[in-house]
Amino acid sequence: MPRHTHIVKVHHLSLAFPTRHDPNPEPVLKDIDFGIRDGEILGLIGNSGSGKTMTAMAIAGLLPEGAVITEGSIKFAGEDLTAMKPRRRRQMLGSNIGVIFQEPSTALDPLMKIGTNLDEILLTHGMKDKAERRKRVLEMLGTCGFADPEEIYSRYPHQLSGGQRQRVLIAGAALLEPRLLICDEPTSSLDTVTTIQILNLLKEICHKMHMTVLFISHDLSAVRNFCDRVMVMRGGEIVDRDTTQEMLLHPRSGYTAELLTNARLDTRMLGLERATVDYSASPVLVARDITARYDNSSSNVLKGASLEIYPREMLGLIGSSGCGKTTLVKTLLGLMPHGGSITCSDKQTGAVFQDPVSCLNPAHTIEWHLLEPLRAAGIKLTKEERRKRVASALQDVGMSPEYLSRKPRQLSGGQRQRIAIAMSLILEPSLIVADEPFSSLDSSSASEILKLLTDINRERGTSFLLITHNIHIVRQICPRVIVMDKGSVCEEGLTSEVLSDPKSDAARKLLHAESVLHGENYSE
Amino acid sequence: MQSKASSFRARTFFITGAVFLGIVLLAFVMSLICSPYDPNATSAREILLPPSGAHLFGTDNFGRDVFSRILDASKYTIFISIAGVAIALFLGVLSGLPAGYFGGFPDRVIMLFNNSIMCFPGILLALVAVAVFGPSMFNVVWALGLVFAPTFARVCRAGAMELKTRDFIMHAKVMRVKPVRIMYSHILPNLMPQLLPATVIGLANMTLFESGMSYLGLGVQPPDASFGKMLADCKAYVLTAPWLVIFPSLMLIFYILGLYFLSEGIRVSYSGRSDS
Repeated sequence: MPRHTHIVKVHHLSLAFPTRHDPNPEPVLKDIDFGIRDGEILGLIGNSGSGKTMTAMAIAGLLPEGAVITEGSIKFAGEDLTAMKPRRRRQMLGSNIGVIFQEPSTALDPLMKIGTNLDEILLTHGMKDKAERRKRVLEMLGTCGFADPEEIYSRYPHQLSGGQRQRVLIAGAALLEPRLLICDEPTSSLDTVTTIQILNLLKEICHKMHMTVLFISHDLSAVRNFCDRVMVMRGGEIVDRDTTQEMLLHPRSGYTAELLTNARLDTRMLGLERATVDYSASPVLVARDITARYDNSSSNVLKGASLEIYPREMLGLIGSSGCGKTTLVKTLLGLMPHGGSITCSDKQTGAVFQDPVSCLNPAHTIEWHLLEPLRAAGIKLTKEERRKRVASALQDVGMSPEYLSRKPRQLSGGQRQRIAIAMSLILEPSLIVADEPFSSLDSSSASEILKLLTDINRERGTSFLLITHNIHIVRQICPRVIVMDKGSVCEEGLTSEVLSDPKSDAARKLLHAESVLHGENYSE
Repeated sequence: MQSKASSFRARTFFITGAVFLGIVLLAFVMSLICSPYDPNATSAREILLPPSGAHLFGTDNFGRDVFSRILDASKYTIFISIAGVAIALFLGVLSGLPAGYFGGFPDRVIMLFNNSIMCFPGILLALVAVAVFGPSMFNVVWALGLVFAPTFARVCRAGAMELKTRDFIMHAKVMRVKPVRIMYSHILPNLMPQLLPATVIGLANMTLFESGMSYLGLGVQPPDASFGKMLADCKAYVLTAPWLVIFPSLMLIFYILGLYFLSEGIRVSYSGRSDS
């Protein structure tokens, strides 16, 4: 008898997207073979496009249209899922296999209250008694860490924060007490403080309900805290697998080691080198007592925030979700009406936003994107000059001119982010505001973008305002840091001082979350 | 990336639509270069002749050649639908984009106008306009253009409202791109997946409206022909000379069906394409 019983056994699974023109395409998953033991938490890591999500969706039976399992089988508790009738397969979903998706903002019906959203799950799975359903939902909301379940029950999804919504989704998945819970990047859109809460909650619930978990992530620190075993995927194959401790301390494959290095964003390994800052020079941007509010709200989101950015400086801005970081960025970029004064030495300010999917206009080519800043600034150039300028801008961000005629959808997330940076660079601004430029990228792309930003800073002397929830990055590349809390700056100073001896509550909380998530040794 | 099934469906729609529309367009081209008879020439000796070698689709109650008249009618039908939709599209985009992009007061004023037009039945409004300004083809064109404009305005407004919060529009604002350019160069090209099928469907609906109005005598004026006008003229001879009904109806059906298939093809090919 085997020592462990496997709840899921994936046997030599291959998966491809055959078309009429190409009946035997390169498989997306190649000969995947693994098992998930009963009660364990198995992590699945790898860069975007490595096949992690495809593997999970094959187990859940939620493969996209056109995906065909060309070889192999998936057994769930002894039953072959690939040979199962669609009807039976659907019944498995929810009651036996639960799924939590990445984006908590789109997974709940916005027109239904939280209670109704959750109630429906029980109703579709045959629980007829209304009072009973309500009791179960309230109970589960309580288990998922809501202090006042009744209150949450009667709220709408848009009235909750990202972390709260993710907890509601966990409650929804746990309601049916599935034996296997698939978590597809459940924490990647959350900040560190919330990530810790969500991971702790998942851990607690899995323990309580004896659930087995397949945890997909590109965030190695989440995996480190949470998983018993880890598998590494690359190009549709499993390249490495081991217990979490072994894997992180002694990676066996070169690729895993590279992933770990990238995840750590180690400045020495990446060769990051920033410009030296002269604090006696006059600042490129001074903002004093900025207040701002949204149209429909009565209270200010920003309550008198002040900051200045010096030439050649990389200024870090940290704070938990909802503290007003993004609103501050909007006011500095002139996208929002505000009170207080903002003086900028340069008319042009560059901007890089968080989401590489929506940062480029899907209807236009890359060349159009690079020319648009020139057109907007009213710079008249001859055809030859334009071509030169665009090609050099592309080269500055490490891309070749062949991309000029492509549309954004033909590029990867990291490449799109590079184009966004090139668009800012082409007018040679003295300041670029980067709002969480790494958080939607996998660790390899993130470290490349980080390297690009520091190179630009060093070679061109461009100042950066870097907004991030990754304190590790701030520690490595920002000489000075600002901590925001509840709409104002609560602490400001040299990074080494602020992060080693935080004075404010907000900074302490952020540092605590980071040390839990990344471990003590990680911080140095 | 386009999935296999959806690209096959799109192709089927496009081919079917092209065949139907091809018939009507062929008639249009022939009306310009080689109409066998003068479409308006009457002949007392050749009244209500059934289809034959000399008169391919027979003759009508004035002895006019139905085939020549159908060729001629396709010209007017195509002209009215395209000109009407062009006016509607122009007005719709011009009012819808600023309404959605700026929001607030401009939005309320612009949409007040659009909604006031929308709250009357379209054909009634067009009939009133033509009754007041006199029945003529140009009055029909602008009246229908005005009636159809709010549909396009709504499509543009909804699209602009959704797109203006996206990062690439924020980026454009940071680059100090002027609002007019943001609307027409940044937002409008992204609305094509909604606007193109709406335009093609608009052409079909415009044709139906025009036929209805011509049938009531308020559209194309005699002696010119349109499909609706031809149907109206032969009311009395439906049983004795069915060719007078069949051929204009078939052309109308081909044109409308062709347009519907085309719009469906456009819609499917856009929805099969993913941006991520």
